[in-house]
Amino acid sequence: MEELTTTEYKKQRKLIIVWGITFLVVFPLLVTLGMLMRISHAELADISAERFYSFMTLHGLGMIGLLFSFAFAGIWYLLSTRYVKLKLSVGYFVYITVLLSVIGLAVAALIGKFGPGWYLLYPLPFIGGSWPVWTTGLSTVSLLALGVGWLIGILHVLYAMAKEYGGFTNMLGWQYIKNKEDKREIPVIVLASTISLVPGVLAILAGAVLLIMYLLQVMEPSLNFDALMLKNIVMFFGHTIANITMYCAVTWVYTLLPEYTKRPWYVDKVLVYSWNATFFFVCIAFLHHMYMDLEQPLYLQIIGQVASYSSAIPATAITMFGIISQLYHSRVKWGVVPLTFLFGAAGWAIGGLSAVVDSTISFNKVLHNTLWVPAHFHTYMLLGVVLFIFGYLYYVAGEKKDIHTGGVAKLGLWTYIIGAAGFLLMFYYGGMNSVPRRYNTYSGMGVDATHQAGVYGAKIAVFSIGILFIGLLIMYVTLFLKLTKKDETKNLD
Amino acid sequence: MRHFTTFLSIQESAGTISMIGTFVVVAVVLFVVLTSGKAEDKYEAKKKVYYYRRRYFWGLMALAFITLLISFKWMPYSKTSDVDEEVVTVVGFQWGWRMVNGASKDAPKDMMGESEITIPAGKTIKFDVTSIDVNHNFAIYDKSGNCVTQSQAMPGYHNNLRYKFQKPGNYKILCLEYCGVPHAFMVGEVHVK
Repeated sequence: MEELTTTEYKKQRKLIIVWGITFLVVFPLLVTLGMLMRISHAELADISAERFYSFMTLHGLGMIGLLFSFAFAGIWYLLSTRYVKLKLSVGYFVYITVLLSVIGLAVAALIGKFGPGWYLLYPLPFIGGSWPVWTTGLSTVSLLALGVGWLIGILHVLYAMAKEYGGFTNMLGWQYIKNKEDKREIPVIVLASTISLVPGVLAILAGAVLLIMYLLQVMEPSLNFDALMLKNIVMFFGHTIANITMYCAVTWVYTLLPEYTKRPWYVDKVLVYSWNATFFFVCIAFLHHMYMDLEQPLYLQIIGQVASYSSAIPATAITMFGIISQLYHSRVKWGVVPLTFLFGAAGWAIGGLSAVVDSTISFNKVLHNTLWVPAHFHTYMLLGVVLFIFGYLYYVAGEKKDIHTGGVAKLGLWTYIIGAAGFLLMFYYGGMNSVPRRYNTYSGMGVDATHQAGVYGAKIAVFSIGILFIGLLIMYVTLFLKLTKKDETKNLD
Repeated sequence: MRHFTTFLSIQESAGTISMIGTFVVVAVVLFVVLTSGKAEDKYEAKKKVYYYRRRYFWGLMALAFITLLISFKWMPYSKTSDVDEEVVTVVGFQWGWRMVNGASKDAPKDMMGESEITIPAGKTIKFDVTSIDVNHNFAIYDKSGNCVTQSQAMPGYHNNLRYKFQKPGNYKILCLEYCGVPHAFMVGEVHVK
């Protein structure tokens, strides 16, 4: 690509800083909603059921929206400052649509107490809800706007990469399989972003179809759609977006870790096979959400388990072994960036393993919709994606400078990890004790052992979130200090 | 529920596998950090790591394949060999359960029934589970608080869940699919005699 001018570079940097600040503001607010939910479970405060479920809905939609948006913004910055020309106007369009959508969802949840959960499982938004109809309409429109923003941003990035690297098949790395001498070389981020973002396009389109059906039902309440079909669609949308959030964040690790280890990371045949296989697994693994719908065709249930198991193979054998080979005997200086990347990969592996356990049909029949489910995806997010985000933010704040320092930042990181681990452990403990998920209270179930396990685990979880907040605070202070060091940012140019 | 071994329930097996996996991951992280101080040519280091990667890949493939085959044995889906000794019809609604012994001839919305039911121990019971409004989940909990089996209850669909209660006693029915604000209070009871 043509050399980026200093002004263009600064403008792209400003965009990622705007995203970073937004993340740092919104993330603790959404964690607070989660903490309030665990406070309700712990019976430490009386939170009404309507309020609880509106918090649950906003926490789920908000977190997925925030984490995927930042994962995408992270790819945008790395691509736009190194490999392809991306239009800032599109970048800000994505930002503003995401922001407006989040405001719409927050209004529906906090003022209208909209509370059908992130998945708006059909036909719950329309039957027996305690929330007014306008909140369903506003949330649907907000989610549609979010989808439009993401779709335009993703398509722009894919188009720019296709233009730069000679077409879509080159972005998928197929030229490496043909083994031609004069093949068009691509950086790993191009391959990995393509594989991550294309399923995102498919998921967003599926989500849009679903939301349009919802809007039709808002306008014509007598409509009646097939509940199992709509559940398949919503799970394809939600699972895929959550899944690719991790894969998007992994593209940063591929790009940035070599700067710390001084070991370039190139695309080769194995990497191409691995990421192309990932594409299929990401698109079909969502089927494991329907295991307990016993009427779902058997072949789809089996495909769900095979795809879920298979997705562990490229993730661990290629990406995680790749990270190990980057770091092994590398004399890397353990600044906060490589540390968060290594720990984030570990969190991904641990969350991934408990996901594979849950994706085993014969385990799922007792783990489904217990706290085991939030246990695995919170591990994946809190100790995976969020750690990658903090590593990325430290990178952006200090660029490659200060890589040998960051003692206070590391203290914040360790505190955060201890808090997160305690919080997650209580989810696993709850799952092992069959504590149901999506309960505002455990007092009404009439099963004493489960009730007690739920309350006990929630109390420790609340305490652990307190520790997590202390860790966040320390990391915030160090990030703020790094960002405001004027002479360092000048040196970047 | 002890399917896999004689001493661990499914929940305990899940916890044990995840705990062992976590220890392995932490051990690898420690190994990477502790060995990173030594300098080695990047190609040599890569060669060593990739030596293990090949073995890991084939080991994982074999493990995944064997686990898949074994685990399919305990899937909760209908088989041609199923013999239903008793049938219970279950209808979920916002926010309760209606159950009757036997196959109900009434349409789900017209079926009358109770939130409690009595069934025999040691016989395979087929629960014919559906819903008349939104999605619910028919989950059976034993006295010690373990979920023993479950099925979604979906409007327009009849899920056939089979289970043999080995021990007499009272089992709770909880809803495990979020179905509206009183979801956590949607309970029923099965008396096994």
